Amino acid sequence: MYYVELKNVEKSFDDLEVLKGISVSVAEGEVVSIIGPSGSGKSTLLRIATLLETMDKGELYYMGEAAATMGPDNRTVYEKPVKIKELKKDFGLVFQNFNLFPHKSVLNNIIEAPVHVQKRDKKEVIAEARELLKKMGLEDKEDYYPSQLSGGQQQRVAIARALALNPKVLYFDEPTSALDPELTGEVLKVIKALAEQKMTMVIVTHEMEFARNISDRVIFMDKGVIACEGTPEEVFNSDNTRMQEFLGKLQR
Amino acid sequence: MAFDVMLRQLAEGMLGSVLIFALTLIFSLPLGLLVALGRMSKNKILSGFIGLLISVLRGTPLMLQLLVVYFFPYYLFGWSISGWRFPAIIVGFSINYAAYFAEIYRSGIEAVPKGQWEAAQILGYSKSQTFMRIILPQVIKIILPAITNEIITLVKDTSLAFSLSYMEMFTIAKQIAASNTTFTPFVVSAVFYYVFNLLVAFVMRHFEKKLSYY
Amino acid sequence: MKLFKKITCGLLMVACAAALMTGCGLKGTKTFTVGFDAEYPPYGYMDDNGEYTGFDLELAEEVCKLQGWELKKQPIAWDSKDNELNSGSIDCIWNGFTINGREDDYTWSVPYVDNSQVIVVNVDSGIVNFAGLAGKTVGVQTASAALSVLTDDEGQKALAATFGKLQEFGDYNTAFVELEAGSIDALAMDIGVAQYQIKGRGDEFIILDEKLNAEQYGVGFKKGNEELRDKINKSLKELKANGKFDELAKKYNLSDMTCLE
Repeated sequence: MYYVELKNVEKSFDDLEVLKGISVSVAEGEVVSIIGPSGSGKSTLLRIATLLETMDKGELYYMGEAAATMGPDNRTVYEKPVKIKELKKDFGLVFQNFNLFPHKSVLNNIIEAPVHVQKRDKKEVIAEARELLKKMGLEDKEDYYPSQLSGGQQQRVAIARALALNPKVLYFDEPTSALDPELTGEVLKVIKALAEQKMTMVIVTHEMEFARNISDRVIFMDKGVIACEGTPEEVFNSDNTRMQEFLGKLQR
Repeated sequence: MAFDVMLRQLAEGMLGSVLIFALTLIFSLPLGLLVALGRMSKNKILSGFIGLLISVLRGTPLMLQLLVVYFFPYYLFGWSISGWRFPAIIVGFSINYAAYFAEIYRSGIEAVPKGQWEAAQILGYSKSQTFMRIILPQVIKIILPAITNEIITLVKDTSLAFSLSYMEMFTIAKQIAASNTTFTPFVVSAVFYYVFNLLVAFVMRHFEKKLSYY
Repeated sequence: MKLFKKITCGLLMVACAAALMTGCGLKGTKTFTVGFDAEYPPYGYMDDNGEYTGFDLELAEEVCKLQGWELKKQPIAWDSKDNELNSGSIDCIWNGFTINGREDDYTWSVPYVDNSQVIVVNVDSGIVNFAGLAGKTVGVQTASAALSVLTDDEGQKALAATFGKLQEFGDYNTAFVELEAGSIDALAMDIGVAQYQIKGRGDEFIILDEKLNAEQYGVGFKKGNEELRDKINKSLKELKANGKFDELAKKYNLSDMTCLE
């Protein structure tokens, strides 16, 4: 059983075809990186997988349960809100811009959802949150507000916030793109640690070295299709011309 | 008229002004939020209608609106309007201020980054949970200075209640001035308004300070 | 949408509570609500104790005593007097209310005061008659009888045409200060009001001997409300007969102006 499964996803914005039939499946414990030039559709794919955006055609499954399937008129039909709400518990998302809640302290950012959405015991959640902060190297920051933290620290809080809900799959949308170069390391280190713990993750990233080191599988997207897919070795050494062009541009 | 009698009369009038002020705020602040949500609704008819309403309420004098609210039940339906005077004042003020507050709320809601909604959605919040727990607290901080402006205007606008023959402070000041052929009550009432607004400014500054923790 | 409902629900509840609070003023005796302009001494104004009083209000008080009614004094914005009367917010307008020119607009009581519209000027203005007003700025209260006289063809419109400007104002206090300051040259108003104002301000002002018109005051009822009118007429005559009316006229310095028979 795949943890998450996207089948033949198509999506257009007005007349612009952004995704032209993409299928991605992620198994338990797998780390998948999605790379590709801007405008290739990788962010849209992530937004569809996390239900922030709807697809026109295609199917989406979490833990084998359907979130969206093809309807009789050849268009995607989403499940009822109750079911969707249930499936949302299976994944978390770390944003490029962190999107921490500015009016809540670090600790409250992390415990908000477990306490108020999942209605879990507050004491227990706080204990877990402190544990998470420790893993992130932020144990002394729980009373700080996001604006008092550096970008790298904020992103680590955002990762802790996502983990506090115990998701089965964790998505990252260019988690280091908004950071100063000297701060990317601390975030990548945290993600690497998660990979070592066999956390199932899908990472959209521009950090090629990182993608190469951490991933079980790399997907190279270009112009709305998967141009190249496989182990890091296979993809980075492939003779796919688009892939070579993309790497060449990065190296220049 | 002895000065202490005048003070007492004006203080009583001030009570009327404060009552209008307080009730108007109690009704118009939540009503304004409701109107703002309607204005931002995806339903084109609802948002268009409310947009028109806001434009009329902001584009016509409050005094005129008070007269309409008070007299329309009689002229339209022939209903008796005895006892409707004070409620009409509160309704008129509340609707008018709700229109102004609605636009302030709207600007505040639109100023909160879309990412906040998305983050909450990913964390499993419902729409209304997101609004109450995540968006609204941020909106309040954003709009507080604009709200303070409106509240200070409201203090002074209470004198318009006279168009419905309600005895608030400025009306009484005019009456004392007429019977005593003097301007003293105007000076006194100016001091009253000013002190009241100092108080308002003080309270609002306190709120702003309280919200400046982030 | 849930949020929408919650807020609506809360607002409705508060509104209901407010409606209940205002709904508890019911009483057994009939109330007689008199609408008046509280900035119109000596007929209706606020006295030294902060109570509403005046010749007309005391008269209304006496009428209520005779009828066994409870008097409610309702100060009104003069511009809204017709709306207040027609909608039933007040039972009558009783406030130095000029009949002439408004005969068909209201149902009138018997006239009880002979009034006239006069012109007030500064003592040292050098203006002694209407001819002296040519080219001058003359103040007159908005919606007042004096204004009607000055804008009516059968009245003094021709005279008003000689003025430099006819300046409307809201209340007499401001008007007198403007007169004193010289931003207006003369004021047109009821003689009773003029006498009260001049009494309160010393002898810097005089009333011109020429009068704009002669007119009478009455109590104005909603057109067609003859039942109430008849009751008031009956009581007024009783008050004249028992001397109470003249006593009040004397108290307010209006003795030589009354015309109730």
